[in-house]
Amino acid sequence: MELNKKILVGTVGYHLLSNHSVGPVLLPFLKKLDWPVGVSVEELNWGPIAIIQQFQAMETPYDRVVLLVAIERPGRETGDISLFRWNGGLPGEEQIQACIGDAATGVISVDNLLIIGEYFKVWPKEVFLVDVEPGAEKAGEHLTTEVGVKVPEILKTVQRIATGGMAGMENIEYLNGEQLFL
Amino acid sequence: MCFKNLPIAFDEAGNAYLKEGVADPYEYKVVDLGVEQDKLKSLMAKNGFIRDVDYDPVTRVAGALAFHSVVDLEDRKVMSTNSMATLFRGYEIILKGRDPRDAAYISSRACGVCGGVHATTSALAIEMALGIKPPPLGIVMRNILLALEYLYDHPLHLFLLAGPDYSEELIAATNPELLEKAAKTAAKNESVHGYKSILDIMKDLNPLKGKLYLEALSMTRVAREAYVAIGGKYPHPQSVVPGGISVTVNISTLNEVYSRLIKFFDYGQKVTGIWDDVFDFFLESNPDYAKCGIRPATIADTGVWDRPDYYDGTFENCDTWGNARWATPGILLNGEVVTTNLRELNAGMEEFVEHSYYEKWNGQRFKTDPLGMPLSPNHPWNKETVPKPGKQSWRDRYSWDTCPTWDRMPMEAGAYARMYLTAKAQKAPASKFLENTGHGMKINVPKHRLPETTLEWKIPKDWNAFERNRARAYCIPYSALVAMENWLIAHKLIREGETKVSTPFEIPKKGTHIGFGAWGAGRGFLTHHLIVEKGVIQNYQIVTPSTLNAAPRTPWGEPGPYEEAVLNTPILENYDKPENYKGIDILRAIRSFDPCMPCTTHIMAKDTGHVVTREVTTCACGIE
Repeated sequence: MELNKKILVGTVGYHLLSNHSVGPVLLPFLKKLDWPVGVSVEELNWGPIAIIQQFQAMETPYDRVVLLVAIERPGRETGDISLFRWNGGLPGEEQIQACIGDAATGVISVDNLLIIGEYFKVWPKEVFLVDVEPGAEKAGEHLTTEVGVKVPEILKTVQRIATGGMAGMENIEYLNGEQLFL
Repeated sequence: MCFKNLPIAFDEAGNAYLKEGVADPYEYKVVDLGVEQDKLKSLMAKNGFIRDVDYDPVTRVAGALAFHSVVDLEDRKVMSTNSMATLFRGYEIILKGRDPRDAAYISSRACGVCGGVHATTSALAIEMALGIKPPPLGIVMRNILLALEYLYDHPLHLFLLAGPDYSEELIAATNPELLEKAAKTAAKNESVHGYKSILDIMKDLNPLKGKLYLEALSMTRVAREAYVAIGGKYPHPQSVVPGGISVTVNISTLNEVYSRLIKFFDYGQKVTGIWDDVFDFFLESNPDYAKCGIRPATIADTGVWDRPDYYDGTFENCDTWGNARWATPGILLNGEVVTTNLRELNAGMEEFVEHSYYEKWNGQRFKTDPLGMPLSPNHPWNKETVPKPGKQSWRDRYSWDTCPTWDRMPMEAGAYARMYLTAKAQKAPASKFLENTGHGMKINVPKHRLPETTLEWKIPKDWNAFERNRARAYCIPYSALVAMENWLIAHKLIREGETKVSTPFEIPKKGTHIGFGAWGAGRGFLTHHLIVEKGVIQNYQIVTPSTLNAAPRTPWGEPGPYEEAVLNTPILENYDKPENYKGIDILRAIRSFDPCMPCTTHIMAKDTGHVVTREVTTCACGIE
């Protein structure tokens, strides 16, 4: 791990939505991993506004944030793991207002979290998403087999992104706020 | 005699009975909405200025609401309206067959803002059904918790959701002529909020950048911090249970709450000053604004904040403990109090589904309440939730919301309802902070950084969009001071050693037990009706404030509150051609109700009745 880095590993997603809940389901496993000093693991479902306010109140900001999420994206098979790096940028003001409105009224969404964090300038330079393809949304307490078999790889990926350097991130894609809601 | 339309009469001793000699006492006529639609269609074909104006979704509200209107842009009037809840709420189905102790936790998830009130209302329903009386400190802490929830909710609505409608940016786009006047109009409450002119306030109401918008965001944090000291977490508290609360409360807890609560003393003064100035400006600038969102003050409220020396959870005593609440339950008809009794409030409730995507249920399991007052087959204790998705049609079914009525009348709900009823009925207990005058409420705000003062909310002549929001602003100091009064009681109880916060209970494995919880959400009226049978939930019905406000037409054709308010709204926006019309007056009217659709409508039970999807299942475009 790079020295003296303060790192947050966060999980975002509704509970009880099977693969869409990969973050909440894997949170206890993430917490049990052997993390170096400086890394904290938290559920980040308690509202983007509250999260941003907590970031704003911190004396020492995070150097890196890694979010474990599951978002349906075209062209992926269920269980595929993609890496994204947040590249900043914002949509129009009406969309930002909508994100804040949704956030303040309880909607859990990583897109909202990214946009609101960007708007209030709380993100460190290094924000990464480990994004697991969940397939179509359905109810359930457990992950399906396709995602279940990937759990060791998901955990390893999160750990590698959180504690490793930038090496090995050749396949990373970039997420831009301007395009998030197109 | 509070019922005019339901077949319920009272004998000389005050006992209710079903009127005799009526063949089908609860029958009603279903009006064909197609006649109106045919007329509109023909008018639209002849006149290019008569147009469909659809808002799908209505933005800056919580959850999925769509609104259809037919507007005559030449005569500047609204001709027809339809309010559409676009998602199905499945909580009644989810809760069936579960242990009653699950209800508080599951029903809390009905809303991402007011989870605490759903949990509490659920706890109250179970307390009534199973005969559980919480200890005084449990009752008092619940009161404080829910007052804090309102202190999160009201600033959020006033500045993040509705506030931008009165901001410089929006007015510049819709009524720029007002800005010059706003610049020249001095703000009457400058000494409280610090703004010299109305335009200065409007600039700080601008979304995202305005100081008032950003300050409201930071005040939501203050309220949340105090809330979690009792609830454990926000928005879904972990500590609200039937029989009280499940966390130990000590002086440290109270101090944590107090250090946040007092910030709302100053903030309450500031917010009421801001909105008094802004709304007075609008109403003085153009008296026609008084018609924006106007409808009679025909309002229902469940009341809230139980007195620890009165509340025993029983149905038998619900009128007594209900009337002792800091916010009085009841019904207002055109501004006059019809009843403040929870039993009558309960017995007058019905839900209709003629214009909603539900099947009509059969049977009438409960012909009376536990004390013999007649109940309709359409009463929540008799209702079953049977979703029936189908084609959307203004002539037939167009909403996932049901149509609740009281005594066969659509009722409005809101935070303001609890203040209106309490002020008018004058039944709430004597208080050092609050005085109900019959024509308003005086709120004695203690000193914090601003000097102490007495604020006065006055019952308005017209019940319109501006007055809804003005009253909601006054609900901030009102809620803060009810919390303060309860905080003082909590201190006294702890000093006296009454530190018990909950009453243990068992779930009976036999028999049928019914109850209802009645407690105000941030947006007003909220009831949970519960039947426990053989130890599990046999039926559960939730009526939320937005179930009332967003209701579609009654079977007999009367519009729901949003629909009526928008029908009465004049088009005061300036536009040079119909294509540039933005619909701000209609949006102000709808948003003044503080729509919160997550608890009105929820997750789509697809195929199995359990599959969750956030897909919006309807669209106003191209509907008959």
